[in-house]
Amino acid sequence: MAGSALRRLMAEYRQLTLNPPEGILAGPVNEENFFEWEALITGPEGTCFEGGVFPTKLTFPPDYPLSPPKMQFTCEMFHPNIYADGRVCISILHAPGDDPMGYESSAERWSPVQSVEKILLSVVSMLAEPNDESGANVDAAKMWREDRKEFETIAERIVRKTLNIPENL
Amino acid sequence: MRNLGITVLSLLLTTVVIGNAYYQKKQFYPSVVYITKSNPSMAVIYIQAFILVILSGKLMRKIFFGELRAVELEHLMERSWYAVTETCLAFTVFRDDFSPKFVALFTLLLFLKSFHWLADERVDFMERSPVISWLFHVRIISLLFMLGILDITFVLHAYQSTLNKGASVQLVFGFEYAILLTIILNIVIKYAFHVHDFHEMPWENKAVFLLYTELVMGFIKVILYFSFVFIMVRIYTLPLFAFRPMYYTVRAFKKAINDVIMSRRAIRNMNTLYPDATPEELAAADNVCIICREEMQSASKKLPCNHIFHTSCLRSWFQRQQTCPTCRLNILRTPGSTQATPAPPQRARPDPPQQQPPPRPDFQWGVPNPPPPMNNANIDQPMNDRGIQSPGPIPNVGHPPMPGAENLHPFFCSPFPIAMPFNVPPPIPPTETLSDEELARMERQTREGVEARVRCLQNIQALLDASVMMMQHYCAAAAASQRHMYPPGIHEINPTANASAPHAAPNSSSAPDTAASSSSVNPGPSGISSGSKIDVSDEPPQHGQTPVNLSFLNEGPSTSSTDVNGGTSVSPETLDGPSSEQTVDKVATDPCSSEASESPADSEAVRKRRLQKFSKDFNPGD
Repeated sequence: MAGSALRRLMAEYRQLTLNPPEGILAGPVNEENFFEWEALITGPEGTCFEGGVFPTKLTFPPDYPLSPPKMQFTCEMFHPNIYADGRVCISILHAPGDDPMGYESSAERWSPVQSVEKILLSVVSMLAEPNDESGANVDAAKMWREDRKEFETIAERIVRKTLNIPENL
Repeated sequence: MRNLGITVLSLLLTTVVIGNAYYQKKQFYPSVVYITKSNPSMAVIYIQAFILVILSGKLMRKIFFGELRAVELEHLMERSWYAVTETCLAFTVFRDDFSPKFVALFTLLLFLKSFHWLADERVDFMERSPVISWLFHVRIISLLFMLGILDITFVLHAYQSTLNKGASVQLVFGFEYAILLTIILNIVIKYAFHVHDFHEMPWENKAVFLLYTELVMGFIKVILYFSFVFIMVRIYTLPLFAFRPMYYTVRAFKKAINDVIMSRRAIRNMNTLYPDATPEELAAADNVCIICREEMQSASKKLPCNHIFHTSCLRSWFQRQQTCPTCRLNILRTPGSTQATPAPPQRARPDPPQQQPPPRPDFQWGVPNPPPPMNNANIDQPMNDRGIQSPGPIPNVGHPPMPGAENLHPFFCSPFPIAMPFNVPPPIPPTETLSDEELARMERQTREGVEARVRCLQNIQALLDASVMMMQHYCAAAAASQRHMYPPGIHEINPTANASAPHAAPNSSSAPDTAASSSSVNPGPSGISSGSKIDVSDEPPQHGQTPVNLSFLNEGPSTSSTDVNGGTSVSPETLDGPSSEQTVDKVATDPCSSEASESPADSEAVRKRRLQKFSKDFNPGD
């Protein structure tokens, strides 16, 4: 059989298909390549992202459980912890040692114990509770802190966009 | 589509050029001469040749690789650009023998290089691909074979040419193909490993073998690059074009060395420090290695924190990080060699500190019990009450300063702050992989433990304050007695010797002094607030004749409230200069003491000296 990274990814895929967590759908883009995944995340209820379905892309390194995957939203996003190009900035996706924002303790970094499911769940909770201390998107962080109304309007527009609802309905 | 258009266009142009030449000259040889003499015609021919090369490249790619994946294409483009710029740099060195043949050779080199890169990627991809077809094996083997033959041929050719005609541009080619040959060798080894891994299901040492291959290959490449640069500098000039790949090679080699060292260390650690997990332990845990998510049947190790992993998984993780993947316990610092980390074990320990807050941790840490010596001092009653030592000696309390002073010295200078880390019990880590509730519980326990410790430290601080106070008692007593007996001197350095002195001193004279110095004692203690409350109730019966103490104790909490944070850092400050200095001032201005002494100026000087001595003596101890 193939390498350990592949086996682990297959195991995680099996796990995710057997017991899918609520509001999350994830799997490889195609069965030939287990190192590129697609995931759909639904916006957590009771937040300004409620109802949205956000497509994301996960890219796994060849030494997967030892190094974290990369995650990127493929739709438009406006969120303090998501870069303008969709890359997600949360601490469990950072290998201990690199700290782009300089605020994370190593206890919340990547370790092989983490999994795709945990990453996606943390992203859901990140959508619900942005961390405006570490602004991947400074504009969004500023708006989240100072003009919540405006932020929610933008979030709502994005949600509509992901659902293909015209803006003025 | 565009590519096709360009190809067709170039083909048309070529036909037109050749047709035109043939039409004008009617014969083969004159038309060839015509074309080579005419620059526009040559340009067309060159473009055509270039397109042909690309086309044949595509054909070969189709044959050996099929469709390229997006990543492969991306890497190929990236590397090609570097290779092209480096080739241009190389042209500058060999501008004298610049000719079409020369360009053609470099193009061929580039061409073969790209195939090496692709083969490398493909073989790496084997490890990540769920299905490997026969076609794949056939393609890879034939490609590797072909590339290997070509490389060897070119190396030999370059060697012969250099021998026969002296150093020329062939040197560069020979060297480049030698590097490519090492790449081929590396790929072949990797391929063999992967194939072996395919047949023998879990081949645990594969990662190690790959590491060593990397190391050896890196070493060969580094040597090749250095010798090349050396030769080039001797014969031509500094080969700038070789610097970038050389830098990367050296870096990769350094990384390989580092990896091998880390891996060896991890293996050694695992073999010597951590036991193999027994089947019972495996059964008790859920038997799945959290790193690879596979069942653990054999070859698994148990870390000091009781987490169990596959040996091979753990090794590859330890190569990067020396922590437990689950709880992040630093495994290099915890093992029995030193107990440099008291924190994790205590955190993990299910401490029952809530029931018996202050004395309990004290007891467990095995601090060389400070309470017994302090037993007679008035402040530490709460400690004794909790059962470390029964309050037997209470009858003595009549003269607090004396026995207290007797034991003061060992207490202060005894390795109290030093002793703590050494007496920490061995780690008692969490026993199973943790669920969220367990984590929460542990967190609570940790919190309680920390709180208890802070309380304990506060109590210790109170004790220290008490001893400072007793020192001052003693000072006062000594001062009082020495007025009658002998001039001030050395005797106060040694408290045990001094124990006799206070005997002579009337208690009544010490009491006012304490009152005078009380304000200097108080700034320290925060913990005294809890302790002193009990004291207040205990105090009056014991010190009937020194009501002033009571006032000090009452005053304590209010003056000290600012210092709560200091609880963890405890002692030194309370003993340091400031407090004693303050004492000096206070004592000096105190009416009671001045009334007691014969000449105020005299006694002031004496006390100053003495207190300075105290602070000097005690600071080094801390």
